[in-house]
Amino acid sequence: MSEENIKDGADLSRRDFLGTVTAGVAAAGVAAACVPFVSSMNPSSDVLAKATTEIDISSIPPGEDRTVPWQGKPVFVVHRTAEQISAMRASRGGKDPEEDGKRVKKPEWLVVVGICTHLGCVPNKSANGWLCPCHGSIYDNSGRIISGPAPRNLDLPPYHFVSENKILIGKA
Amino acid sequence: MNKIVAWIDARFPLTYFIKHELTDYPTPRNLSYWWGFGFLAGIVLVIQIVTGIFLAMHYKPDSSLAFDSIQHIMREVNYGWLIRYLHSTGASAFFAVIYTHMARTLYYGSYRRPRELLWWTGQGLLLLMMATAFMGYLLPWGQMSYWGAQVITSLFKATPVYGEEIVTWLRGGFTVDDPTLTRFFSLHYLFPFLIFGAVVIHLVALHTVRSSNPSGINLADKDNIPFHPYFTIKDLFGLGIFMIGYLLIVFFKPDLFIEAANNIPANPMQTPAHIVPEWYFLPFYAILRAVPDLAGGVVAMAISVLIFAAMPYLDRSRITGGARYRPLYRTMFYVFVIDIFVLGYVGAHPPTGTLKAVGEVCTTIYFLIFLLLPFVSRWEEKFVLARGLPPAVEAMARKEIAEAEGNV
Amino acid sequence: MFKFLGFCLMATVGLAHADEAQLKRGAHVAVEVCSACHSLKYIKYNDLMKLGLTRAEVDAMRGDKDIGGPLLSQMAPNDELGMFGIVPPDLSLMAKAREGGAVYIHDVITGFYTDARGQSANHAFPGIKMPDVLMVAQADAAGKKEIDQKANDVSAFLEWASDPQAQERTSLGRYVIGYFVFLTLLLYFLKKKIWRRLD
Repeated sequence: MSEENIKDGADLSRRDFLGTVTAGVAAAGVAAACVPFVSSMNPSSDVLAKATTEIDISSIPPGEDRTVPWQGKPVFVVHRTAEQISAMRASRGGKDPEEDGKRVKKPEWLVVVGICTHLGCVPNKSANGWLCPCHGSIYDNSGRIISGPAPRNLDLPPYHFVSENKILIGKA
Repeated sequence: MNKIVAWIDARFPLTYFIKHELTDYPTPRNLSYWWGFGFLAGIVLVIQIVTGIFLAMHYKPDSSLAFDSIQHIMREVNYGWLIRYLHSTGASAFFAVIYTHMARTLYYGSYRRPRELLWWTGQGLLLLMMATAFMGYLLPWGQMSYWGAQVITSLFKATPVYGEEIVTWLRGGFTVDDPTLTRFFSLHYLFPFLIFGAVVIHLVALHTVRSSNPSGINLADKDNIPFHPYFTIKDLFGLGIFMIGYLLIVFFKPDLFIEAANNIPANPMQTPAHIVPEWYFLPFYAILRAVPDLAGGVVAMAISVLIFAAMPYLDRSRITGGARYRPLYRTMFYVFVIDIFVLGYVGAHPPTGTLKAVGEVCTTIYFLIFLLLPFVSRWEEKFVLARGLPPAVEAMARKEIAEAEGNV
Repeated sequence: MFKFLGFCLMATVGLAHADEAQLKRGAHVAVEVCSACHSLKYIKYNDLMKLGLTRAEVDAMRGDKDIGGPLLSQMAPNDELGMFGIVPPDLSLMAKAREGGAVYIHDVITGFYTDARGQSANHAFPGIKMPDVLMVAQADAAGKKEIDQKANDVSAFLEWASDPQAQERTSLGRYVIGYFVFLTLLLYFLKKKIWRRLD
């Protein structure tokens, strides 16, 4: 290669207007091309269509509970007895104090996401609430954290009563 | 920035590599756009690998789920239709680009000494690509997928003595079935990475012997220019043109390369009325059918692909510049290209009457061209030298001849 | 070259332009007539709302079936096997799975006639096992015209069903091609500029 040509090559570091514009347009194109690929990893339309769960609560007697899947997560639906309700109303929970009244739409029905706020295990039902098998967090019958490493009370999913005996989870 | 580069350079030859392979890499300034197809092939390989990885996140390699999972990708996954069409069209684009790349090599005689290894690594890449494309075509589990795989795996029956056993082993069953699909999926995912590795070897070989050029003569230093920026920008412009054509198909005619019958789920109990391979296999398929005997057809088809490897030895002319200064070679090249197109047409249609005869004639011409080349090229050499050549080309040719005869 | 690209773009503008009213009529025919025997398993009831059908119309079509569920045949596959000798094929991809697509579907639906032996036969599909549901063979001229309209509607609907993303695809495609034409022009001028250094 001639000396001249090599100098030409070194000249390249000096960006001219046309070069900058072209590089910019190309970079924007590459960025835009990433969108469909990233987006394809988000939930597909059939998964989104299952974003709500309808549950018939007429078969749950007082003192019993059901675990129903909502968006693949367990949701605890508890039919609380009168004693449980009054006990819960009397307390404000543990390290994340909250009124029981703010955690339920109807006092006899508690609906909480059954995922420990610590590291995502599913707590087991116990006499006075739940006990997480992973690191021993204890929740009361309002889903409030009483003791253990969990930082927050159990989350409340959006839900509403479609009728007297039907709850739709996923939509407030 | 400079500090970081210096830190890396002390541990890894980054600056040296960029200089040696790009900014100082000497490239003949007279390369035409025909020399840009290797770069295009590299880009298409990347497109195929990226889209393939994302498709594999949603695809299910199970004979009872595969077809449905493709429809799931097409209808429910966000932009799934786009990723799938990029991939299915990309397969055809890959072959179109590679065949053009090969045609350029043949026309300009770029396979000649000292580029034999470069040419052979390219041959290996072609075989890997064909295997990858064939296995990928089974994955949608449509009728054409299924029967294509059934027919092609059956070709291995032609193996002496162990034919049946080998076919059963390839399929993992007595017909193409779930085990076949699962292993094809596994290998279809693996092979592109082998191809990637082979591309690196191909490039190392290229950078050792350097690019050939349309004039055929070894250029003086002053006629070489750095690859970057001159050929990066030239190749990128070519890429722009390619992308427009490719994306016009992806967005506006995406079913162009998808057979209607492949929209019917695979049915092992019923063969479609008319089965054809993908367009890029059609000429070879026509050669397979032109030979009436199974083993003979398979051998003919295999040779029709592998014979390209012998080109550096079949072409005995020492006139450089490929077809440019060689009227007979040029004529043979064009006859060969036309012959391949006719074979492709024959391969796409049922082999009856005239078409069957046309297929047989074209198959004969296909092999005749290769077989006659050693004799034609020597005779042509004498003829062309007697007729006169541009001084530089003649000097190169005479030097090569003198060297060869001195060696004897 | 750019003229040619312009031509390609023009040629694609006419694509995928079945009008909404026709697709809605076709959806009614598909659900009320075809789905007595055929399934459309890749289409869900709520997909039909993308055609412009209202929630109430779709609710009337689905009866007690799940709004997110597929359009399945009203007969069990086993009963169909007993009745026709085959399970009628799923229609979701029919417009892509046959050469000729929507035109072929239209021709099959309207192709019924009574042959010399007094049996039902079909011009477009000899040996068809499907009965002449719309009674083409018995229809008078006015009836034939009405059937032809229905066949057109339902073929247009099946074409949509085989490729529901067509509209999204072509409209996105126009931007993408526009972008690449622009980028390629820039690359062309940049290439000219860089190569001019060699003169």
